[in-house]
Amino acid sequence: MADQLNKCIQITGDPYGYLAEWKKQNNKKIICCYPMHVPEELVHAAGMLPVVAWRSNEPVTLGHSHIPPYNCGLTRSFIDDLLKDKLNFFDGVVIYRMCLQAQGLPFIIGQNVNLPYLEYLSLPAIYPGLPTRDFLIKELERFKASLEEFSGRKITAEALNQSIAVYNKNRQLLSKIYEIRRQKPGAVKARELMAIVQSSMLMPKEENNQLLEELISELEKREPASQPKIRVIVYGGLCQTPHLDILDLIEELGMEVVDDDLYVGSRYFAGDVQITEKPVEALAERYLAHTPPCPTKGDYATDWTDYIIEMADKNQAQGIISLLIKFCPPHLCYYPDIKNKLAERGIPEVLIEVEHEVISLGQARTRLQTFAEIIGGV
Amino acid sequence: MVQYKPNRLETTKLIGPMVDKHWAELRTAKERGEKVAWCSGPMFIFPYAMGMKCHFMAGYAAYCAGRGAGDQVLEIAEAEGDLIDSCSYHKLHMGMAAAVKKGIPIKEEVMLPLPDLMITGRLCPEMSHYAEGMYRRMNIRVAGVDTPPPAREEDIPAFEEFCERQIREDLIPTLEEVCGKPFDYDKLSEMLAILKKTASLRNECWEYTKHRPSPWTLWDYGVSIAPVFYLMGKPETIPYYEKLKAELAYRVENNIGAISPEEKYRIYWDGWLPWGFLGKFSRKFTNLGMVPIVGRYPWEFFPHPETIEPEPDPVKTFVKQVYSNGGLARQNLPNLALPQIHQWIDEYKIDGLVMFSSKTCRMWNLGHPDVINAVEKKNGIPGVVIEGDMVDSRMISDAQIDTRLGALMEMMEARKSRRA
Repeated sequence: MADQLNKCIQITGDPYGYLAEWKKQNNKKIICCYPMHVPEELVHAAGMLPVVAWRSNEPVTLGHSHIPPYNCGLTRSFIDDLLKDKLNFFDGVVIYRMCLQAQGLPFIIGQNVNLPYLEYLSLPAIYPGLPTRDFLIKELERFKASLEEFSGRKITAEALNQSIAVYNKNRQLLSKIYEIRRQKPGAVKARELMAIVQSSMLMPKEENNQLLEELISELEKREPASQPKIRVIVYGGLCQTPHLDILDLIEELGMEVVDDDLYVGSRYFAGDVQITEKPVEALAERYLAHTPPCPTKGDYATDWTDYIIEMADKNQAQGIISLLIKFCPPHLCYYPDIKNKLAERGIPEVLIEVEHEVISLGQARTRLQTFAEIIGGV
Repeated sequence: MVQYKPNRLETTKLIGPMVDKHWAELRTAKERGEKVAWCSGPMFIFPYAMGMKCHFMAGYAAYCAGRGAGDQVLEIAEAEGDLIDSCSYHKLHMGMAAAVKKGIPIKEEVMLPLPDLMITGRLCPEMSHYAEGMYRRMNIRVAGVDTPPPAREEDIPAFEEFCERQIREDLIPTLEEVCGKPFDYDKLSEMLAILKKTASLRNECWEYTKHRPSPWTLWDYGVSIAPVFYLMGKPETIPYYEKLKAELAYRVENNIGAISPEEKYRIYWDGWLPWGFLGKFSRKFTNLGMVPIVGRYPWEFFPHPETIEPEPDPVKTFVKQVYSNGGLARQNLPNLALPQIHQWIDEYKIDGLVMFSSKTCRMWNLGHPDVINAVEKKNGIPGVVIEGDMVDSRMISDAQIDTRLGALMEMMEARKSRRA
């Protein structure tokens, strides 16, 4: 396995150790950005390291004294990690109103953890019309000012454009790796790809860009799987890394993930930000119009299912796997429409619900095996 | 052991016919050629001003659950693909819409005409998810009004400006287009004037709650909420609260409490009212001598009517009721609500907290233990969390409710003994 890939796996296997060490070596502030749409470029331009929050692999214990178990794994495990002092390398946390669980977090954090910086953003529903756009730009300007105050560094348009360029490059490199997977199915395993994307969420982007460039050269040398497998798209997994066991299971059962619409996947890097004289407006534009359809954004006019179908068509996928994070209201509310539209179009789909602690792999295996047999005609 | 019993109010018996009339008029609106909107949050006042018949999301859920149709409609939603963990209010609407569209039999009184317009008063994201679903499934037009709850006082001016602009630049022009006539600002002012009067009377009724024993309970106020919310602007809401006020005044003068023989514990209630199970909760509280009298959610509805200025700018004054002069958006997050809760506990002489944690509503299930901790520290009173749901009976456990209420009673009793 390539060294670069090993590094991605190592970092994502222990983000706690990696970030603690990074802070020691670099003596810089680390800001945790709660998924999925905080414009990290602003944090980067303020000279701090933006890092995307992750779900731990430990059972939630202390966290359940503050958040009931009927909330998503990320929400519960994030609070649990904070209370267990596992995230002490964070100088601050930025959360926005993505869902009701994210909306409730700042109060709980504020009551229990003494963070030097806690920012709550109100990114609006992307309803058509100028009021939304104007409000969003003002909110991002306010966020920019708050970062300037905390970091002690003025964020100039030039600095922000430089950060945007670094981020755009990262998006392009990740896209390139996805293209390699499309061209050579089986050359990159789903769990490997997840580690690659998550490494970008944890590392300084400049360093990650260099790593990805080297990794691309290695991956290009790989050959596709010798036996053609059943081609599937996995979508969902909003906000958090799905259990890697599920991805392994999919492949073990004779299916190949040829593309994905996962957050720790193609959703993270879709859509560049334009370099303009008004970079804050460009960041707003990306949120409003240049990311995949997102059920957290109140976007009734764009159909997420159409986006998934287009991805399936483009990749000649034979089926869709819905990876639904348990207690994720935006996906829960959307799911019937996706399921029913895919059924109307005759596109096979299977639902796999994943929970933080308890995951019945036996049940998932049965469902996925049946699905593979149906779509593979075995 | 003391046997407690409720002293039922005469006035609250009048609410049933008022509410039934509202929903019956909505149900039959299309037969009269009237336009219909479905609305979440407080924005229904705008279609009302245009003479449209309009539903209110949580109000419908309360009505549907109160009529015992909740489980039936939820089952239809789940047959359509919804999962058990989705917001019950969302599911209830998707189930009812599916029943109406596909002719699946449900109780006639909880059926609604499919709307000409969906309005999202987006106090929570689920309030727009159901509109998005209706757009996707039935191509029903949506007017979106995002009303994000502020986490800091200093957010409020920008949020008010955002809310006001969405109403003026999108909602009102959409209503004009749907109805084919100019927006009726005079009617809006007239409705706000009635609301001001009704909510002022309601506030006088709230004052009686401070009396020991309290002459009415939060359950009584729960059934009386419609006149200060989705029955907003109807002239009959004023006499309702005049009668209620007179009855409460009589009780206070004669020292008649909401329960007999005596009120034992005064309770703060946090979260949704358990609309489908009000009778059950009322009986359980009464049996223990507990009287719930104040709560964050029921106190959201126009708590400062003295600040309503129906003229010259009814839109602006309404927006201020949602934010700076009101409770609707600002009490959703405990950040701004907590100082108010501390104050209520002193003002209303509260003995304990019950936090109703709705399993399918993440607006009202996060933060409860931390509110209890904060209140314990500052006010020195105990609290418990009760898990349940506002509509879904599968999530209500009698044994759990009894155990938690029993534990609360023991804690309150111990505190009282220590103070004595």
